[in-house]
Amino acid sequence: MNPKKITSEILKENYFYMKHPSGLDIYVYPKKDYNSKYAIIGSNFGSINNKFKLKNELSYTNIPDGTAHYLEHKLFESKKGDAFELFSKTGASANAYTSFEKTAYLFSCADNFDKSLEILLEFVQSPYFTEQGVLKERGIISQEIKMYSDSPDWKVLLNLLDALYKNHPVKIDIAGSVESISKITPETLYECYNAFYNLSNMCLCVVGDVDYMKVFEIVDKNLKFSPAVEVERFFPDEPHEISKKEVTERLDMETSMFNIGFKENISKGERVSVKDLVYHDLIISAISSKSSNMYDELIKSQSINEVSFSNEYLEGPGYASVIFSGESQNPKKACEIIKKHIEKAHKNGIDKKTFERAKKYAYGQSLAVFNGVSSIANLQLDFALAGKEIFEYLETLKNADFSEINAHLGKKLNIDNSAVSIVKPKNE
Amino acid sequence: MPSITRTEICKGVNFSYIPENKFKNELISFSMFIPLDKKHVSQNAVIPSLLTHSCKKYPSIKLLNQKLEELYGASISPSVSKVGDFQALTITAFCADDRFLPYKSANINNLSNLLCELIFSPNLNKEGLFFDEDIEREKTQIIEEIKSEKNDKKVYARGKCVEIMCKNEKYGINSLGTIESAKNLSSKTIFDAWKNLLENAHVEIMMIGNGENNLIINEFKKRFQNIKRGKNPPFKTEIIKKVNEITQKQESMDVTQCKLVMGFRTETAKPDEKVSAVKVMNALLGGTPQSKLFLNVREKLSLCYYCSSRYNANKGIILIESAVEPQNIEKAKKEILEQIKDIQLGNFSDTQLEETKLYLKQNTKKIQDDIELMGTWYLLQTFDETKKAPSEAIKEIENVSREDVINAALKISLDTIYILSGSKE
Repeated sequence: MNPKKITSEILKENYFYMKHPSGLDIYVYPKKDYNSKYAIIGSNFGSINNKFKLKNELSYTNIPDGTAHYLEHKLFESKKGDAFELFSKTGASANAYTSFEKTAYLFSCADNFDKSLEILLEFVQSPYFTEQGVLKERGIISQEIKMYSDSPDWKVLLNLLDALYKNHPVKIDIAGSVESISKITPETLYECYNAFYNLSNMCLCVVGDVDYMKVFEIVDKNLKFSPAVEVERFFPDEPHEISKKEVTERLDMETSMFNIGFKENISKGERVSVKDLVYHDLIISAISSKSSNMYDELIKSQSINEVSFSNEYLEGPGYASVIFSGESQNPKKACEIIKKHIEKAHKNGIDKKTFERAKKYAYGQSLAVFNGVSSIANLQLDFALAGKEIFEYLETLKNADFSEINAHLGKKLNIDNSAVSIVKPKNE
Repeated sequence: MPSITRTEICKGVNFSYIPENKFKNELISFSMFIPLDKKHVSQNAVIPSLLTHSCKKYPSIKLLNQKLEELYGASISPSVSKVGDFQALTITAFCADDRFLPYKSANINNLSNLLCELIFSPNLNKEGLFFDEDIEREKTQIIEEIKSEKNDKKVYARGKCVEIMCKNEKYGINSLGTIESAKNLSSKTIFDAWKNLLENAHVEIMMIGNGENNLIINEFKKRFQNIKRGKNPPFKTEIIKKVNEITQKQESMDVTQCKLVMGFRTETAKPDEKVSAVKVMNALLGGTPQSKLFLNVREKLSLCYYCSSRYNANKGIILIESAVEPQNIEKAKKEILEQIKDIQLGNFSDTQLEETKLYLKQNTKKIQDDIELMGTWYLLQTFDETKKAPSEAIKEIENVSREDVINAALKISLDTIYILSGSKE
């Protein structure tokens, strides 16, 4: 075992990386004087991976919507019992989540780290899917789906994605529907497990006051070897154009909410680079931060509920969209103001002073990420699965140059490829 | 282990310093506590937001935020909450620590000066009052915020249960007030509220970080010299111990899933030393993924996605929350009460108890790794005679026995059931 040490001069910290012979990527980020320890293991298997084949297979398999999420729920169960039950012996807090592009299992603890890490590695390597177990979970997941269907902020986002994308599976609800999950069987789960949970398709990140060599040793002892599996993920062709300009839905709620999204051109299955992320953050801050003209007009014209205004870069394999969102008494007007200021920025460019301020702002924001074991571990997993390195962000940001910002802006926030989603109160 | 030093800088105003160098950031929070009362709750509630939008020196949102961005993305954010029967009005300032910046810039001192400008030198008009346009903005924002509580059904149902259960106590007052009370706000009432808070509220200032704190303390001392500090409000939260009659209320909205919230009285609130026993009992009942509610209501009966309980030690109440299908409400209710009875009868193993304590202890240890959680940890102890570090709370959890847990469970009684049901099937 020969781990590689990666250092950040800015943060005065380092982490260690090793590719295990099984194919598993392992990252250990020691955090001195922290009580909390955090471990997360993930696979590039999210809700968008609904069609795939193994390299030696002839045809692609379609799986029901919501399978990745269902698998996440069921992996907690093993022959030895429920993983939560095992974690309760060590006192760790365990959890898992499924997003559009990945599934992750994690725990955080203060004591008994070694034992908890063994439990985590053991249960993700021991699928146990039975007819009865799969059936039992249906009730719980159906309730989860219904909970989200009453949630305006989830609804407004899903409707936006449906408007932005014509074919890309990012437009489908992560948990699927009550109907689609009824088609999921133990066989479906095993098939996905064998493809995506092969160690060569996974990544483990550990953060905390730990001895990195000891972590590598524990991991080494607890991995079960299996031949590497290569999965080919199918993605449909996605045109550059959006599908619909506008979607409105009425729900039983009090205040309208909107999402306005700007679709970017991303090649099939590709991810954006660290440099793209840095310039993205600088541009969004320059155009829409609290010191911007856009924000000023949104507030002065009372077209937005201040605390609710936010933005997100929803980005994964083959998709990337900039999304502004908020609660508003007049969502249409808010969207018009947002578009107007984006058009202005395209026309006049971002000036040097604004750029420098945005740079300082982004610098402070990204430093804060390195305060917590969970934020570091999640960032590490996210970046590792996307083939990126975490310290590169701060370095690139430090060296970001004004001469490049407007060229980056030219590639972003295309008004012609934007869509608006609104959810409104029923009685309005 | 960081230790806390707390000094009174003037009557009813304390400055606490927690030295800690493991973070990349530093934090200063300024909190004002005032007894909740219907008449003043909305006008107090807008103060943190109003003060963090501008000041004399930076008279607009835009100018103020340009300054914050210059300070390497420092943030100053308002919040309103409840601590027992008190309304807690907090402004939190957060910035990058000089050690990690490209240039030494005395970031925390600059930020602390800015914070003082915001609190003590607001942007006032010729008559010495707040500008009408600022007041109008705050009014609209607070009304919208009150309305939007209804958007998150889980939060809304929890709020309703508390409102009904504590309708005759100060704690039953929404910390933002009502839409009506917000509509009546004026430049004059808000100005009076600001003055009254600086003069009469109990104030806690807290700094967590690596830097020197003398300059910062002195700046606050100087500012308070110009303020005539009056009477401190009595720090008393009303604790109701007995329930006369169970209240049940059902409301219907056009949602697909019902929310069920059950409110209980525990007879136990701070400074009662039995609080730790209730904490452990609550965790065993519904505070962990191995808790009785999670295992039985969710896992065994598959009735819901979540069923959990939370204990408020400042007020001595427990809220149990779940989301279920309409036809399963009675079943869920029955099972929840069954699980409480089980603890009262001692139907839990020593292992279960030890595991629950282990879980609680680890979560308490983890607080010290999060600068904001650490701030909140001490703020919630504002009215406690002695301020406990997380390590001391851990010892108390360790000392909770099986009998303590059973006794804590025997004392809890159901007070209010709130159901938010769907009107469509």
